Amino acid sequence: MPSSEQTADAGPGAPVLEVVALEKTYGDLKAVQGLSFQVAPGEVLGLVGPNGAGKTSTLRCLAGILPVSSGKIAVAGHDVALEPVQAKRALAFLPDEPRLFEYLTVWEHLNFVARLYGVEGWEEKGRALLAEMELGSKEKALPGELSRGMKQKLSIACGFLHDPRLILLDEPLTGLDPIGIRRMKASLRQRAEQGAALVLSSHLLPLVEELCHRILVIAGGRAVALGTLAEIRAQLSGLEAGNASLEEIFVRITSAGGEARPEPPAP
Amino acid sequence: MSFPRAVAFLWWASLRNRARKQLQRMRQPKYLVGLVVGGAYLYMMVVRRMSFSRSVEALPPGARSLAELSLGGMLMLTLAAAWMLGQDRPSLAFSETEVQQLFSAPISRRGLLHYKLARGVVGAGVTSVFTTLFIGRAVTPHVGLFFLGSVLAFVTVNLHVTAASFVRTRLARLGWPGTALRWAVFLGLFAAFCLAVYVAFQAHPFPKGTEGKRLAQEWLPTLLAHPSLQVALWPGRILVAPALAESVGTFLRILPLSLGLLAVHYLWVSVLIVPFEEVVVVRAEEAARQRGQRVSRIGHFVMRKPFFRLSSSGRPEVALLWKNLTAARRMAGPEVVLVLALLGLAVPLGVAVLAPDALTETRQVMAGLYLSFAGMLTVFGPVSMRSDLRLDLPKLDLLRALPLTGRQVVAAEVLAPGLLLAAMQLGLLLLAVGMVVGTPGNWGAELWVAGGLGLAPLLPALAIGGVFVQNAAVVLFPAWLPAEGERARGIEALGQRLLTLAGAVVVLMGGLLPAAIVASLVGFALYGWLGVWALPCAGLTAAAGLAVEVSLGVMALGRAFDRMDVSSEGLGAP
Repeated sequence: MPSSEQTADAGPGAPVLEVVALEKTYGDLKAVQGLSFQVAPGEVLGLVGPNGAGKTSTLRCLAGILPVSSGKIAVAGHDVALEPVQAKRALAFLPDEPRLFEYLTVWEHLNFVARLYGVEGWEEKGRALLAEMELGSKEKALPGELSRGMKQKLSIACGFLHDPRLILLDEPLTGLDPIGIRRMKASLRQRAEQGAALVLSSHLLPLVEELCHRILVIAGGRAVALGTLAEIRAQLSGLEAGNASLEEIFVRITSAGGEARPEPPAP
Repeated sequence: MSFPRAVAFLWWASLRNRARKQLQRMRQPKYLVGLVVGGAYLYMMVVRRMSFSRSVEALPPGARSLAELSLGGMLMLTLAAAWMLGQDRPSLAFSETEVQQLFSAPISRRGLLHYKLARGVVGAGVTSVFTTLFIGRAVTPHVGLFFLGSVLAFVTVNLHVTAASFVRTRLARLGWPGTALRWAVFLGLFAAFCLAVYVAFQAHPFPKGTEGKRLAQEWLPTLLAHPSLQVALWPGRILVAPALAESVGTFLRILPLSLGLLAVHYLWVSVLIVPFEEVVVVRAEEAARQRGQRVSRIGHFVMRKPFFRLSSSGRPEVALLWKNLTAARRMAGPEVVLVLALLGLAVPLGVAVLAPDALTETRQVMAGLYLSFAGMLTVFGPVSMRSDLRLDLPKLDLLRALPLTGRQVVAAEVLAPGLLLAAMQLGLLLLAVGMVVGTPGNWGAELWVAGGLGLAPLLPALAIGGVFVQNAAVVLFPAWLPAEGERARGIEALGQRLLTLAGAVVVLMGGLLPAAIVASLVGFALYGWLGVWALPCAGLTAAAGLAVEVSLGVMALGRAFDRMDVSSEGLGAP
């Protein structure tokens, strides 16, 4: 539940997420270099790139899990480095591999999250979320008794419980069945319509194309394209088909080296 | 590439890569230092004590017979267990990777069996190295022959166990007649064995009296030479004969028989082979599930209610405390300690009814026991009660994503096992004092109560200090701890554990010293006025000192947790 402090800090039109010159290095390896972008309330940003491009490192830095090597990240107006608690209170990070506590039941997971984020009336909200995720009959189940998809759904329910203003998703549909995928897409759309900003990292390009308002393509830790699909098409010189799909654009950008890439995106 | 060549390549590449990885790890100081410390420890504790320069003389007949009987007896027990214990299904076990890679490959069932048998030979070789090191040098001067003989024996036993499982699977298909047949044959053989032992003992009873001492040394060889025992113990004897051969000539004379036995067993396994794929897949999945639980640092747990209901308002770090207390309750059942302690009350109650004269001594003994357990919890409790950052080690990145400061995380994590240990210690102290108050003796009730009140704040403070040190190691030296999915093994892992233990002791002693000095000064200063009642004051002072130190430590550790880069420390690194 967003606090009044957060609302005051980040006005209604202000970006929920602001990233400036983000760099992350592991020893000699530069995983992320000079990444700058913003995500407005209600906007869904797709993060795509080949394996090892730095997507997960970027998301983990945005979530405050990894300290940045340089640059600045602000969530709901709070600098993640300087005000990590306030920033984390406004976001939810949903990793591709659901991270659950093996000894807590489904309901206790929600209880735990409710206390952490101070969610009033969490029981009602939790029941609604469990129903939405088709976990209503699994309240007393331990994670070990759940399938991979159910664990993913529980992780998502925990993430949504406190109505985060920024939702970071790393391959959110992994393990979900077709109906689950359909519901999840509707759920993400609904949360965006309600004003949440979403950053969605996925290799499922049709999903990104369908859900995201803008797309950030990164390769080798650098942003190589940022904008709407139409804007990226326009930036690419020599791409004949004006209706090229994201997949075609992605292949062109990430496999052709520097010459086929558009100009480095402005933040 | 044929399957045998593929397997040879797999094993060689695995061995080479493991050695390469071990060598690469040595570039990191933690592994190099660990190797040096672990190697030194092994040299001091194992290698030096083995004294390789000393050669064992040939054993006297009595001792040799005893060695033959012990080793042969153990092997015979293993053979018997293969027919008696376990389930009626193939005993072959493959890892999940082996199942995925080999079972879908164009390899026949017989090929898979040969692969497993070959693995058994390698395993027998490794086991034989240790058997030679720890047993062979004590029983024979020919360690080389002992090693070769051990390999032969272990391979044959392994084949026998596999063959027995195949036979049992086939008999089980026949229903109860098959099971009845197996037990009838087994019990018949067992009865014959018992009869042979009885007959031999009748013929050669154990010598008695003063004369018996001298004869006892010759008794065992004579007993074992009895014809009935010669037959009954033949399987065990023939298995250990090559290992205990007294010369190369003897070894070579026995070798054809041992190799023949091995060949017969191989033929047995090959002829009676049964479908094992289904059982193996289930077993591999179960093993993978158990490994997953080990990786997650969780053991078997029982569903029990949390200690308290968690409301949604209030300090957020209480959620972590609640989570860890719940984990401890479900994984360890800490209240079991108190239940056992309360059950201990049955001892003095029983004595009071049955032998009232001994009640005073019993109460004093029980008080001492309760006190000892409370003290032991101070030392061993922090090591064994791990529902803190050690439990959350694979999920440190998850903790980092929570809207909590590092100080809040560390405080909540340390407090969970700390509170449980404190509750157990206070309960035990209460029982100790309650048990002894009112009994006559050198220590009056006043001293016991004063001492108990002194220990009441001190022991929990010490235990919490111990828990803090254990958690500090996770935050300050996460790279010293094995990463998720990694099994810490080898000499360097042993060295690392020794260093961690030594570090924990040094830090705890260092922290205890200032508190102990201040507490002693307070205790001595007040003793003149308060007498034994200076003890609670001293205990409280020491506990307060420790509490201040731990609080400062939690603040510092919280800052370290905030700065900690889980990606570069080997935990949850991308």
